[in-house]
Amino acid sequence: MEPLPTAFLLVVAGLLMGLSVLLSRASGRFGLPVAMLFLGIGMAAGSDGPGGIEFSDYGFAFRLGTVALVLILFDGGLNTPLAAVRAAIRPASLLATVGVVATAAILALAAHLVFGFSWPVALLLGAIVSSTDAAAVFSVLRGSGLHLKRRVGTTLELESGLNDPMAVILTMALTQNLLQGEGLGWRLLLDAVVQMVVGGGLGLALGWGGRQLLKRLRLQAAGLYPVMTLALAFLAFGLPTLFHGSGFLSVYVVGVLLGNETLRYRTGLLRVHDALAWLSQVAMFLVLGLLVYPEQLLEVAWVGLGLSLFLAFIARPVAVLLCLLPFRFPAGEILYTGWVGLRGAVPIILATFPVLAGAQGAQAIFNIVFFIVVVNGFIPGATVPWVTRKLGLAANVPEPPPAVLEIASTQLLNGELSAFYIDAASATAGARISELPFPPESAAMLIVRGLELLAPKGDTVLQAGDHVYVFSRSEDLPFLRLMFGQREDE
Amino acid sequence: MRISEFLSPQAVIADMQARTKPEVLRELSAALVRAHPQLQEEKLVEVLREREKLGSTGIGEGVAIPHGKLPGMTQLLATFGVSREGLDFEAIDGKPTHLFFALVAPENSAGVHLKALARISRLFKNPRFRTAILEAPTAADIHALIVQEDARP
Repeated sequence: MEPLPTAFLLVVAGLLMGLSVLLSRASGRFGLPVAMLFLGIGMAAGSDGPGGIEFSDYGFAFRLGTVALVLILFDGGLNTPLAAVRAAIRPASLLATVGVVATAAILALAAHLVFGFSWPVALLLGAIVSSTDAAAVFSVLRGSGLHLKRRVGTTLELESGLNDPMAVILTMALTQNLLQGEGLGWRLLLDAVVQMVVGGGLGLALGWGGRQLLKRLRLQAAGLYPVMTLALAFLAFGLPTLFHGSGFLSVYVVGVLLGNETLRYRTGLLRVHDALAWLSQVAMFLVLGLLVYPEQLLEVAWVGLGLSLFLAFIARPVAVLLCLLPFRFPAGEILYTGWVGLRGAVPIILATFPVLAGAQGAQAIFNIVFFIVVVNGFIPGATVPWVTRKLGLAANVPEPPPAVLEIASTQLLNGELSAFYIDAASATAGARISELPFPPESAAMLIVRGLELLAPKGDTVLQAGDHVYVFSRSEDLPFLRLMFGQREDE
Repeated sequence: MRISEFLSPQAVIADMQARTKPEVLRELSAALVRAHPQLQEEKLVEVLREREKLGSTGIGEGVAIPHGKLPGMTQLLATFGVSREGLDFEAIDGKPTHLFFALVAPENSAGVHLKALARISRLFKNPRFRTAILEAPTAADIHALIVQEDARP
């Protein structure tokens, strides 16, 4: 009788979520994506593990997973600078369309020829595991204290933001094909184009409208602004999907458009959505872990292992090579992009779709996909830090300062704070504060030196390794960047 | 501080050949060595490259001010080059860069170095001055234009 069941549910959820957060630090040290850890905790709590929780509601998992993906993609968009989009849009969109189709096709070929799946099942398998998850790559790198060189990083990130729509479109179409035995043809291609155009178009429109709305909106409580952006994210997914457009593409586009606008209460908004994205990650992987029966996974172990290795060593690298050849990327970067195509939750969520549709053999597909994603978390997943160092793609990014200074405001202001790292090569290293030719409306606000906070006085000398916070008008930023170097928050 | 104190007419390139960012740094360094033979080209390229790693010195509107610190120098030295076609210097506004004012300072002279950076970037904010430089045919004309603009109150 209520409220006991609710209380019990919250205790279980609280324990699982709390445990996931507590253990997340440890996973970074072993180079394991945190997602795999959450998944493992879910599996341990599930029906075959010590937890023994019976959970096999695919419909709930699909819905939760979709909401989680919407929040994760929206947050990803918010944090994607327009400069990164400009720099990587061409290779990334090719990878996200042609690359996805090529990966799916090559993997399907192996599934059909080597493992004897019928063509419809083989193609569906390929489509389901065809999209990548850059967040997995970055979380592994961050755990080892590494940062990626800019172009590779932005290409991988933008690719993963853009490639879910194609994987979704293919999976939906191929599931229909499996159910009704319709022939595949040009209609699928046309369908994909329509979905992209409608999704992209509505995304641009909603993003533009959202910008205008957020610029004019004045609310009493700061806490209501994130509610508004959350509403926009839901609309950005829901509306296009109702009109046969790609909701995932739309929500990412809206995120990028809003993230690159000077919004009221911006830092607060970003923090809320960052937390929502993390909550989504944890909840989604826990539920997916609960959903699977690990004992059934053993039955598909050989097929899963074989396909997973084929995906890592052949399908993904070949597809990437095809897409990146026209862009004159150095060989090392092509190799790297091909290798670190980590899979995340998207394939598992997509694999619930044929199960929900009641397609024949869907349960086996789900188990195989699950197995592929788990193996993928280790190969290539666990090798990512090592490969990054080996190929010389780690960038020298200074450690972020232990203290962060920022202006929180629900009003639009006429100036901003920016953080600069003082490198030995910067003209400002060794300069006294009084020697810095600041424009009239700018000044140094705070120096962070190790764990010490210093008040910038005229005779304070800037040392290499310092972080300096500068207040300025935005039109003076180019000169500040000339003096100091790039901003830390870019 | 007068720009003519550290930019000699011999260090001006009226028509740069470089097509890429690394080529620009090399061509500017070579020009500086021609004007001041006591300098070493390799070391110049290296310090300019080190600074570019922190973020491009292309400040937008077609202007870049590559700079660096070189141990063993006794005074600030500069070179100026014009790329007629313009090229991708990863400038912050994403536009092609045409005007390159490279500056090398002795170590432990941050004050002078920064003052020069401020002076040069203020000079090139003037759009008419930028156009005039792009229209000047020879290195001597360009040098004269810079000295003249610098002398204006």
